Amino acid sequence: MSRYEENLWVITRDNLIALMEVFIKTREVIAPVRGHGGEVIFYPIENIEDVAWDWQYVNAVLPPKRFFLPQTEVMFEYKYDNGFKITPRYDDQVRMIFGIRPCDVNALIFLDRFFGGGSLSKESSDEEPLFPDSHYIRRRANTFIIAFGCHQPGENCFCVCCDAGPFLEEDYDLQLTSMKGDYAVEVGSARGLKIIYGNERLFREASSGELEELGRIKEEAVKKFGDTCAYMSKAIRKVTQAKVDDCVWEKLGERCLDCGGCSYVCPTCCCYSVADIPLSDKTGIRTRIWDSCAFAGFTRIAGGEILRSDKKDRLKRRFFHKLSYQYIQKNKRHGCVGCGRCVTTCLADINMPLVVETIRRQEAIVKASAIPGA
Amino acid sequence: MKDVYFPDIAVIDNIRNETGDVKTFTMRFKNPKVQNDLTYRSGQFFEASIFGVGEMPISITSTPSRKGFFELSVKNVGLVSGALHSMPPGTEVGIRGPFGNGFPYEKVFGRELLFVGGGIGLAPLRSLINNVLDNRDNFGKVTILYGSRTPGELVFKDEFKVWQDQPDVNMLVTVDRGDEKWSGNVGVVTTLFPKAGIESENTVAFVCGPPVMIPFVIKDLLNLGFTEDTIISTLERHMKCGVGKCGHCCIGHKYVCVDGPVFSYREMKAMTE
Repeated sequence: MSRYEENLWVITRDNLIALMEVFIKTREVIAPVRGHGGEVIFYPIENIEDVAWDWQYVNAVLPPKRFFLPQTEVMFEYKYDNGFKITPRYDDQVRMIFGIRPCDVNALIFLDRFFGGGSLSKESSDEEPLFPDSHYIRRRANTFIIAFGCHQPGENCFCVCCDAGPFLEEDYDLQLTSMKGDYAVEVGSARGLKIIYGNERLFREASSGELEELGRIKEEAVKKFGDTCAYMSKAIRKVTQAKVDDCVWEKLGERCLDCGGCSYVCPTCCCYSVADIPLSDKTGIRTRIWDSCAFAGFTRIAGGEILRSDKKDRLKRRFFHKLSYQYIQKNKRHGCVGCGRCVTTCLADINMPLVVETIRRQEAIVKASAIPGA
Repeated sequence: MKDVYFPDIAVIDNIRNETGDVKTFTMRFKNPKVQNDLTYRSGQFFEASIFGVGEMPISITSTPSRKGFFELSVKNVGLVSGALHSMPPGTEVGIRGPFGNGFPYEKVFGRELLFVGGGIGLAPLRSLINNVLDNRDNFGKVTILYGSRTPGELVFKDEFKVWQDQPDVNMLVTVDRGDEKWSGNVGVVTTLFPKAGIESENTVAFVCGPPVMIPFVIKDLLNLGFTEDTIISTLERHMKCGVGKCGHCCIGHKYVCVDGPVFSYREMKAMTE
């Protein structure tokens, strides 16, 4: 465990509410709230009562990725007035994400390296990052992270197989874990510690008994995953060595509906398209918009040719990007955090655990000519 | 921190019709400091914007050895290229870049160079050809083999004679189908290989053209004794960001916009969709 500060703190539920009320006044607070249909989503809150405190769910339907990479993001405005004037548009809103789960925080760490340009620097990681993305970086720097560790895995969760949960070991500001009606508070950063010292009366130091209790909670939580196991390493090896039989992708491709849902719900998927939107004859905006490698048009080139026109090639591409060692080297981890959202979302039952299992058992599956699911 | 998505404004100074659907745009950055500071490598590309329409990646066809301007040759095939084609001189466009790795230049000092181009594929090669000819002493014999479908589709025709007249340059042109006025070679570009007397020893081949041309050219070059490392080509993808972020140009774990667009045949062979 590498907490920023070894001390463990405890905050009561009432004090946590008091603390959050202060934050709501000073920044935009994003938290899990119940939508009209009862689903849980990350949304800016105005009242602390809006938070879906019941925790009768494990995670929000969508990851909080849109607060760092909005579905449609304005990059700049242009205006013609005896020549073009371009004004970049940055989002410098100070934010806090409250109740984010460890898998989603790990996805942010993945995106930090990617948008920071670290994943492009060649060979050694000390090399200068290439083309850092100022839009992402500014948002991320202005966002404080209060993570909630997971006592109980959700139906489709497999973070334990992806080294992405159910608790964070680093790279958070504060990590809260529900403990006997109060919350254990771990400090993961300097700005996390600043919050503790700035509101000292709301926190107390944990007793040695509580410290042990937190350790027990964490052990128990991992055990609750039971037999859940996605054998990532074998899939990684086979994808890396191009040893996955093409008929695996063909069979999966036959049932893919091209909806792109996998990419939209994935906390690490971040491919985008670029579009200009004129607002008048002389003004307009440039936007970037979430895109998906599942779409045929994703590889369209000038003249109309589509380079990955077969669904099998697109699926192969998606899982190569998520799993290959070539990408692990660039990104310092594989591209799945085990949040399970693709399992929940894909109407055709094409998801990470299933693909990993299919690759692992491909000989048998290819012979039987049947892939489980759908 | 520099915003890698923020374009600089450039002005179209001159437009030259190359063919029915290819125009060469001579541009310069509106801000003289940006123009003066511009450095690029042959084989790199710009992201060119027509505000309100969009942005497209275009290889730079001018040579970095000639300062004060830059040139983009654009075929009218899509939304943004179509919009650019309708613009008169004086129009302002957005330019980001240069991006990409560019051709190996210093690395081929002292070598003999073979350029094989097809159609608009001559555009990126033209940058390197002029760069080589402007620094003639650094390179050995230069052979330029160029083909297009019809005489009307040959680009940079005005420059053919300039190139041919340079010492130690051999340029041959062919078309797939001639017309009444055409008295030159007829046949695909590989039919020029025997006529040009190509020797693979100490030679590096640069190949750019339509996807249908590339495999035939590479096959013949390998037969002539070129190695997988001495055949250099470029890949075409719709690079929307140019900075390795949008994901559109990935092949395997390579970003064509950052790791390419220039690759050796050895590198290209190892790639899988």
